[in-house]
Amino acid sequence: MINTIPLQPGITLRCFRDNRFKQGRLSVQFVRPMCREEAAVNALIPAVLLRGCDTCPDLRDITRTLDDLYGASVGALVRRVGDYQTTGLYCSFIDDRYALKGDTVLAPMVAFLEQLLFHPVLEAGAFRKDFVESEKVNLISTIASELNDKRAYAAAQLLKIMCRKDSFGIPRLGETAEASAITPEGAYRHYQKVLKESRVDIFYVGSAPQEQVAELLKPLFDYPRSCVDLPEQTSFVPGETQEKEETLPVSQGKLGLGFTTSTTLRDSDFVPMQVFNTLFGGGMTSRLFQNIREKNSLCYDISSGYHSSKGILTVHAGIDCDKKDLVKQQVEQQLSACQQGDFTQSELTAAKEALLSSLESTHDSPGSIEAYYATAALSGLPNTPEAYMLRVQQVTPEQVQKAAQKLRLNTVYFLKGV
Amino acid sequence: MEKQIYPNLRETLFRTTLPNGLRILVLPKPGFTKQLAYFVTDFGALHREFTLNGTPCQVPAGVAHYLEHKLFDMPQKDVMEEFATLGASVNAFTSYDLTAYYFSCTKNFPQCLKLLLSFVSTGYFTQESVDKEQGIIGQEIGMNQDSPDSRVFEELMKAMYPIHPINTPILGSCEDIAQITPEILQLCHKAFYRPKNMVLCVVGDVDPEAVAAMAQEILPAEDLEQVEVVRSWQEKMSVSKAETTCKMAVSMPMFQLGFKAEPPQKGIDGIYQEIVGDLAAEALFGESSQLYLELYNKGLIDNSFGGGFETVEDLALLTAGGDSGDPEAVKNAIFDQIQRLLQEGISQEDFLRMKRSALGRRIRDLDSFDTTAFRLCAYLFDDFDYFRFPEIYEAVQREDVLNFLSRVVSLNRCSLSVIYPTKEET
Repeated sequence: MINTIPLQPGITLRCFRDNRFKQGRLSVQFVRPMCREEAAVNALIPAVLLRGCDTCPDLRDITRTLDDLYGASVGALVRRVGDYQTTGLYCSFIDDRYALKGDTVLAPMVAFLEQLLFHPVLEAGAFRKDFVESEKVNLISTIASELNDKRAYAAAQLLKIMCRKDSFGIPRLGETAEASAITPEGAYRHYQKVLKESRVDIFYVGSAPQEQVAELLKPLFDYPRSCVDLPEQTSFVPGETQEKEETLPVSQGKLGLGFTTSTTLRDSDFVPMQVFNTLFGGGMTSRLFQNIREKNSLCYDISSGYHSSKGILTVHAGIDCDKKDLVKQQVEQQLSACQQGDFTQSELTAAKEALLSSLESTHDSPGSIEAYYATAALSGLPNTPEAYMLRVQQVTPEQVQKAAQKLRLNTVYFLKGV
Repeated sequence: MEKQIYPNLRETLFRTTLPNGLRILVLPKPGFTKQLAYFVTDFGALHREFTLNGTPCQVPAGVAHYLEHKLFDMPQKDVMEEFATLGASVNAFTSYDLTAYYFSCTKNFPQCLKLLLSFVSTGYFTQESVDKEQGIIGQEIGMNQDSPDSRVFEELMKAMYPIHPINTPILGSCEDIAQITPEILQLCHKAFYRPKNMVLCVVGDVDPEAVAAMAQEILPAEDLEQVEVVRSWQEKMSVSKAETTCKMAVSMPMFQLGFKAEPPQKGIDGIYQEIVGDLAAEALFGESSQLYLELYNKGLIDNSFGGGFETVEDLALLTAGGDSGDPEAVKNAIFDQIQRLLQEGISQEDFLRMKRSALGRRIRDLDSFDTTAFRLCAYLFDDFDYFRFPEIYEAVQREDVLNFLSRVVSLNRCSLSVIYPTKEET
């Protein structure tokens, strides 16, 4: 059961009390509008915070503190939720019941989190220069290393091209040019602004009662703040259609198709669109998988994904470099069949069951609980998986057919071998 | 079924062995909605030479993985579709030493379990369907060749192990899989997909007795096949190549270092050795080590760096890898650090902290149904009850870790595999 506790204007703590798990999870997200000027520095800040604080001035001291807390972990939390980007930290730690007798973990964990967030190592009134410089190098190489995973690379390229005029085209971690321009002073100034003006979403899942969690966290934000409202989430405004090919020394080609759907998760036909996506390319029983892989052996992986915050649906397939047109044509054939209502009741049931089952098991791990609730509060997703499930159950074949009819092919991307 | 309570872990495990030899583990998880079943055979990519009832057999590379794909075929039945209709998702994977089939569901558990047991125990392979799979697996091989993470590891194995079949990729090559026939698949199914060679493990809010009863009902009542795997793969402790490199479309060099360790033992000695190996990796180059701090501060490693102790049937190694502008410098730094570490030793305080941290992480891992089911099965094949890990941490001594490091971290046991960016990318 989720409980929402306002700590002060713009700062909300959400608690999910549950004693089934071995570990607790706590996340602090500062919510920013996604924009080119901020994306890279927002991605960099958590990495700099994780380099040292007053009580633990270097990486080794930080690891020792975490080791003492029974191998707890702290990590950067940088998410994209529609037009928003979040920056912050999360921690995972053993539940107090598994600590040595009389020992507690939650309270020292929060104390350590306070150190990391609010007492970074400073130098001349800014972040330490060597920390910033080396984390810049790491951020830039992380951005570049997207190339290593060709599937992820192709997916990112497709979105970059398709959304070049939308915040959705900005990569989650920003881009190299903006990352290179960051200075220790600029980053620190920006962080002060983030701390002062941002909406803060805190999430806890674990066995502790909400009152205890609130009491531990409240003092962290006891400083003057003036929260600035975030702009509303917007739907995707498509540009003209386009097609792009790129060549790399690879043995397998990657085809990406980007469709507009004009349906975001804030629209009433959002759930039918989600069901359609699952039926179309959501898993191993989907249309695309069954026909293009199983029947025609044209690929190993093929799937579709629905970016519901923007209403974009993408299809990705790893294929022989000379099969681009054939595969594209077959994807369009499958789509056209769905648009004509040419799918069986059992395909629809399978798609609904797959969605229901994944929603139902949201509550089975601290990570998926945090991921659902901490983003639903920002995106407009149904408040609970249960509310979402109710809507899935009500979807009719006609609604799915209508959803399919809303798709328009906007962008084609192809990565091919030399 | 035999019931055992692990008070430190707050878990209760049920286990039994059926008359046909199948071993069953059930871990009830009251209050959870998800149910997970793993049906695993002690047959992986390595097992290509064996005798079946006295007849010697040899099969092409990639056959275990091919078989995993084709086992989803059933006469007059679409296995995927049936699972989907039941609201379950099903999948499988093949590793070097085992093949696992699993489903997770939130309802219809008995029907799903029945379907899992029947499709995995039914070998039905037609020429047409075996031929068709060549295209799909051919694409999977292509995808794997483009994946630097897979390539860097496969190249390392080739450099370290001239004899052991770990030097061959799990998927095999396109030429290897072209030799696979329905008869070969049938032969491997008969030899390895039999109750004595398999484990069934269920995690979730289920009735353990009902799981055992279902397995008894679906699977053959007895298992009379005589199978011996030929393991003529003993290796020297030195590597065959100290360095191996290749070029790919990557953004910066990616490396993997490997150090040959003594082959793993079975039972409690095996997991003891593994925990010693993990702690040794942490002491030498883990995040709490002096070396990690130095390399990170110099920009020679970033947070992609990691490593640990790995075992595969009859071999064990220490690995470390990630992205680095200068992999050779990282390797040299590790050899410098080992001298210092062996001279200075590890303080008792540091050692206790490392043990507490590693133990805490293993306990946290128990929140994952998949990790838990997988580890319970894998350790059972090695004759060890995984849930006894806390007592091993109690027992491990500092000297064990230092002795391990002094043996394993030596130049003649070490290979470095690097993938450099192709020119087009620099």
